[in-house]
Amino acid sequence: MKYLLLSILLGLVFSCVEISDDLTLNNDGSGTLRYKINLSASKIKVNSILALDSIDGKPVPSKSQISSKINEFVRILDAQAGISNVLVEENYTDYIFKFSCDFTSVKNLQEGIKLSLAQISNNKWSQPSESSWLSWDGNTLVRTIPSYVTQQIKNYKIDNEDLLKEGIYTSIARFQRPVLRFENKLGTLSKNQMAVMVRTNTFDLKANQHLLDNTIVLAPR
Amino acid sequence: MNNSVKFALLVVVSLVVCSNPIAQLKGIQSEQLLPKDAVTVFSINNISLLQKIAMDDLVNYEFMSEVHQELFDGSTSGKTLKDAGLDFNQRLNLFYGKTFTHELTGFTFGVSDQKALFEVFDDFQELQSTIPGLKIYGTFFNHLLIKNNNAILIRIEPTMDYIDEVTDSIWYARGNETPFEFFDSAPQDDQILNEQTFEDDTNTNFYPEASENPSIKNYYELRDSVQAVLQQEELTRVIDELFVDNINLHNTDARFAAQLTHNAEGVFYLDNARNLDKSQGLWYFQTFLPNLYKDLQELYAGNVILGDLFLRDNQIDFEVEALYGPSLGSIYAQMNDARFDSNVLKYIPASSPAYFTYNINLEQAYEQAYQILLPLLSDEKNAQIAMNVLTLELLNEFIDKEALFDTYKGSMFGAFNGVKKIKTKKVVFSYDEETFAYQEQETEADADMPIFTLGFSTARADIPEMVLKHLARLSSRVQHFENYWRINNAILDAAPLYILNTGKLLIFTNDEELARLHSSGYGNLALTKKQSKLARKSGSMYGSVDITKTLDRFPTEVLTPRNAEIVNSLKRKSGHLELTSSETTEAHTTFKLSYRFESDESTGKHLLDLVNSLYLIYTLNP
Repeated sequence: MKYLLLSILLGLVFSCVEISDDLTLNNDGSGTLRYKINLSASKIKVNSILALDSIDGKPVPSKSQISSKINEFVRILDAQAGISNVLVEENYTDYIFKFSCDFTSVKNLQEGIKLSLAQISNNKWSQPSESSWLSWDGNTLVRTIPSYVTQQIKNYKIDNEDLLKEGIYTSIARFQRPVLRFENKLGTLSKNQMAVMVRTNTFDLKANQHLLDNTIVLAPR
Repeated sequence: MNNSVKFALLVVVSLVVCSNPIAQLKGIQSEQLLPKDAVTVFSINNISLLQKIAMDDLVNYEFMSEVHQELFDGSTSGKTLKDAGLDFNQRLNLFYGKTFTHELTGFTFGVSDQKALFEVFDDFQELQSTIPGLKIYGTFFNHLLIKNNNAILIRIEPTMDYIDEVTDSIWYARGNETPFEFFDSAPQDDQILNEQTFEDDTNTNFYPEASENPSIKNYYELRDSVQAVLQQEELTRVIDELFVDNINLHNTDARFAAQLTHNAEGVFYLDNARNLDKSQGLWYFQTFLPNLYKDLQELYAGNVILGDLFLRDNQIDFEVEALYGPSLGSIYAQMNDARFDSNVLKYIPASSPAYFTYNINLEQAYEQAYQILLPLLSDEKNAQIAMNVLTLELLNEFIDKEALFDTYKGSMFGAFNGVKKIKTKKVVFSYDEETFAYQEQETEADADMPIFTLGFSTARADIPEMVLKHLARLSSRVQHFENYWRINNAILDAAPLYILNTGKLLIFTNDEELARLHSSGYGNLALTKKQSKLARKSGSMYGSVDITKTLDRFPTEVLTPRNAEIVNSLKRKSGHLELTSSETTEAHTTFKLSYRFESDESTGKHLLDLVNSLYLIYTLNP
């Protein structure tokens, strides 16, 4: 299979997708990544797409093919060094997909995802050229949205801008100690000062793929 | 651009490249070069459109570059149809034909200027001809035959099965072993650890050799030679048939010849009987059930579809006549001998942009088909067929056919009622302010849904009611309301389906308004008397599509961006489509498809503009 099956669905319904990436980072650099994709607002469209054999000459995957590919990704990622507890929840009624994994360092996390995506797909977007979208020195977290996600949003063609504005991307970073400051003007700090959230719509993200980039500095230990 | 689109462009252009129809009746003309084995022909009567569209305007359409590329093999840049030396006083006839062993495609046309013709067809080399007056030209794939300023451009391909059969015969007759035994010794998949290594292995004897002697052909070289010889033999046969024996489709099929006398802009001919006869897909029948195959041939004998295309003021009409032989005709006649159930019209609103009615007598059709087909099947000495016949006869005896055919009476309708907002549910993510802890909330959402209604007449409303009652006991998704049933999430797992069982009609719809407010019909909002009369008077089927309204109401959000662009383009330039049919007799049924549009421009220009906008979308979004 020459492409990541889920990307087809995402590519076609980015206008109404809700994506949440939620990174919990411990002081020692280990942590948990939770990634959620919510297509429930587009489930009529997703169902109508899945009812087709192909779109514009490209085959439309079945639910079982999507599931099989996701599980293959989980299996491969779980075997990577420094990655554990890889879990996926697939909800094909509302089309909500939740992924989570623990990691021992952000380097292991990025390397593990990169290798796993490359193994399950020959598609260019899933073979990220840049491996660093996270960096952590014990006090400062620098994060961006991985290029294999932003590229999909950038390539998405749509005439109706209002529809694209309904899509939401939320990026959360959680820590074990308070946040001292952060750079992204769209960011908000949780009341307990231990988490930073940046949200935008997919229309703005399509125009500027660095809109959610953030540098977060924590209070000294 | 795929072949079907190219072919469509050629047909449309051919339609427009026209002049005086009377001129075509004089002397031997291009249609008399059509091979008798042609089973499908689209013949363009060179009509008056050139008077309405200047050739200079036509050749300037963007899609014409594709046509020129295709017609002239792309080898002659800057040349157009205008320069091709074609005789626009003659018909242009596109054909497809087949024999048991070959396929033939091409077109015939008149030539006014051979010098100009070969400036655009400059790939063709003159070949030797032994027939007086006939000139033969060829390229690798095509041949151009010209006599008395009439020409046929033809491509002949032997079928793969035939090539294999002849090649195998020669191969084994020469004492060779099977050329495919290397497959047996080839490594199994799981033994091939590295595909690249396998391919690079020069010791792999992948291609079978006939001999160690390099001057002797291997199997595949022999196969190529066989193909070339078979092609040449068939070409010689067709040439002799057309130019020596004077046998062509025009003088062997009177129905086709008669069709050409119609004063129509285009003529369509499809010999379904010969199409079936030469069908490669029926090899199983031909080989293993020869008697049944022969019976099927007899059943389809005389089944020909003839069509006329008329370009009128602000209207394009396609009139099709399906001719039947006695056996097949009797089944169709019984099937269409049905009383139209006017009740269906009450459930189509006058505002519906697209709807159809279909009216058949299934019980009579079944009885007639049973009488005709069962004896054919019973005669076949085949165990599987015998079991099927036994099953069919038992079902025929045991099943209550009256109940079955009363449940589905045969009058049917369908309507597209535009797009409505429907209530659905979605999940939203929310985060508390304290810790950004994550929660999911289910909320109401609106979604655009195309509204469709499909219904049919029934005399046994109790049977679907019984089924629905049992389904409701099994699943909470099936709910009963006063006048209708609702099955939740039945459509795309998101929207409800409503079932109205009125006692005379069983109606399926996703239109809540129809179920709740119009369960007895739309009343004065239903089709007007004029609209109803058209549907009632039509034979077995009637269809009406207001293309502009339909596309306006169609939600482009559910389409891919490219398809949405095509739909938006059509919205700006389209009209009304209507399908009617005549009563069916044992001999024939007539169908008429009319496309009307409101515009000051000529029909030809309207058609060309439409084709050109579609072409531009295709080529700009490859």
